[in-house]
Amino acid sequence: MKKTSLFAKIVLLVFMVTLVSAAAAGCSQTPVIGISQFGEHASLDNCRLGFLQGLKDAGLTEGQDFTIDYQNAGFDGAIATQIAQTFSAKNVALMCAIATPSATACYAAAEDKDIPVVFSAITDPVEAKLDSGNITGTSDKLPVDAQLELIRKLQPEADTIGILYTTSEPNSVSAIAEYEAKAGQYGFAIEAIGVTAQSEVTLAADSLIAKQVDCFSNLTDNTVVGVLPSILEKTNEAGIPVYGSEVEQVKIGCVAAAGIDYYQLGRQTGAIAARILKGEAKASEIPYEVISEYGIYVNSEAIAEMNLTVPADVAARMTEAKDA
Amino acid sequence: MNVLLDLAISTLTQGLIYALLSYGVYITYKILDFPDLTVDGSFPLGAAVTAVLLTRGADPYLTLLVAIAIGALAGLVTGLIHVRLHVRDLLAGIITMTALFSINLQIAGSNMTVERAASTIFTAGPVMALLGALPLIYRKLIVSLLIALLGKLVLDVYLKTKNGLLLRAVGDNSVLVTSLAKDKGLVKITGLVIANALVALSGAIVCHEQRAFSSTMGTGQVVFGLATVIIGTTLFRSMGFVKGTTAVLVGSILYKGCIQIAISIGLPANLLKLVTAVLFLGILVFGHARKGGVKAHA
Repeated sequence: MKKTSLFAKIVLLVFMVTLVSAAAAGCSQTPVIGISQFGEHASLDNCRLGFLQGLKDAGLTEGQDFTIDYQNAGFDGAIATQIAQTFSAKNVALMCAIATPSATACYAAAEDKDIPVVFSAITDPVEAKLDSGNITGTSDKLPVDAQLELIRKLQPEADTIGILYTTSEPNSVSAIAEYEAKAGQYGFAIEAIGVTAQSEVTLAADSLIAKQVDCFSNLTDNTVVGVLPSILEKTNEAGIPVYGSEVEQVKIGCVAAAGIDYYQLGRQTGAIAARILKGEAKASEIPYEVISEYGIYVNSEAIAEMNLTVPADVAARMTEAKDA
Repeated sequence: MNVLLDLAISTLTQGLIYALLSYGVYITYKILDFPDLTVDGSFPLGAAVTAVLLTRGADPYLTLLVAIAIGALAGLVTGLIHVRLHVRDLLAGIITMTALFSINLQIAGSNMTVERAASTIFTAGPVMALLGALPLIYRKLIVSLLIALLGKLVLDVYLKTKNGLLLRAVGDNSVLVTSLAKDKGLVKITGLVIANALVALSGAIVCHEQRAFSSTMGTGQVVFGLATVIIGTTLFRSMGFVKGTTAVLVGSILYKGCIQIAISIGLPANLLKLVTAVLFLGILVFGHARKGGVKAHA
């Protein structure tokens, strides 16, 4: 008997808590925006903050025109699935998905309810099959041409660029292909090494250094960027400059980057979401946007340490990373 | 109340899909007494082959059979490494799991997504003919329920056959098996084959449901499986008439239910795993207090 009662209690508890939370969700009159962020990460956080700013810029006020239900999956795909299904069950007005796994989960959960999904921080929405249906958003595709041009200006003599990337990241694989296709135009050769896990990154960095590349260039590869400080330790010792792919990387010691500002990317995403909420357009009618603005960020201390000279035309439009 | 119903349906669906993985862990861990870490590799293996086949336009139901076969192969490898090469059980699983990480990426190329136009087991012809009028989440629930129950019934029947009884005997008292002039190594291999076939099937259905494969989706699945087996068997310990498979099925649903509650009450993601650990500990301690001793397995 005792056993049945324990089980009954658990079931009852599960039921009641869900009931209360569901009732609470049902009460709100203002449209709810469900934000599903794949994990805690400086770029992704900036993206979310920018998104909220973008909504504000469009004249929408939180609490009055919309409420936010923010969930973070802690880099766990199964949890991203459940978060998306919760949004779908609560019939949120719009889902904002930050990073690819969250976007695929939201897209799948919204499939038969036709809830609009607005994504951000996805490099290749076509590759991720997120380019048709009631979905739109912004892509964080790297400005590869601008980056190659920047490297050429800072290192006129350089021949090879070393790049580390994760083989399982479609974003990284497509970025490598673009680098290889475009490097020739700027007189560079690419030396790329793929890794499968974070523990292999420093080993791969060692072998790039051994191959005597003239510099490193980073992608927005989470696995590699996650251990950037230990890469920088090795490259600084070898006197090889590392170019970042966004401002946060320059802050922690890369010499420079022609990169996107995730806060701006988020704002652009927020502007799209605002159009959908106001009923000006449907997500299915808005093509995804690639960020038009990129900044040139530099870290003067790192540049001095590497004995690089910044030409006047670069100096005219660059921003010191720690002030950005 | 629609919100509540929808939440219950999608949580139940998740529990049912992952229950197949729990059955697999139940066979190796609880019946065979074999801590099989192959699971972290065979789960995404099922999803990887499914994603590739669906993209190539294969019949969705056929992909399930392929996943079962290829999962069985993964189990066979672990079994052979352990039994024939005499590598310890834990290490044999780790070796296969590590190899599978590369193999999965080799199969799929990289993380991949299946386009919405491709039909899945939830949207293909036969299901649409029978249940086409229902919304997708109901179809997902019904299809997963059928597969989870079918898996459970087949497993229950199998465990009652002579072969199935030998499987139990190896876990409980392997000397007895040898004294019956049976090869206990062969029995272990059989168990691993069945277990990993079920795990890969679970991964395949997750791929159908999410339309995506990711190389890291297997991480932590062994822990999930163990948790559900222990939650289920501890809850039903004194109810002898409840089958082990039923117990782990309930365990899987409860586990997903707890995550759902944690999300619904707005707990930060970083705390989700902590909540699960606390729940896990609570059930174990509670079971311990009532029975006056935690079994070696739990």
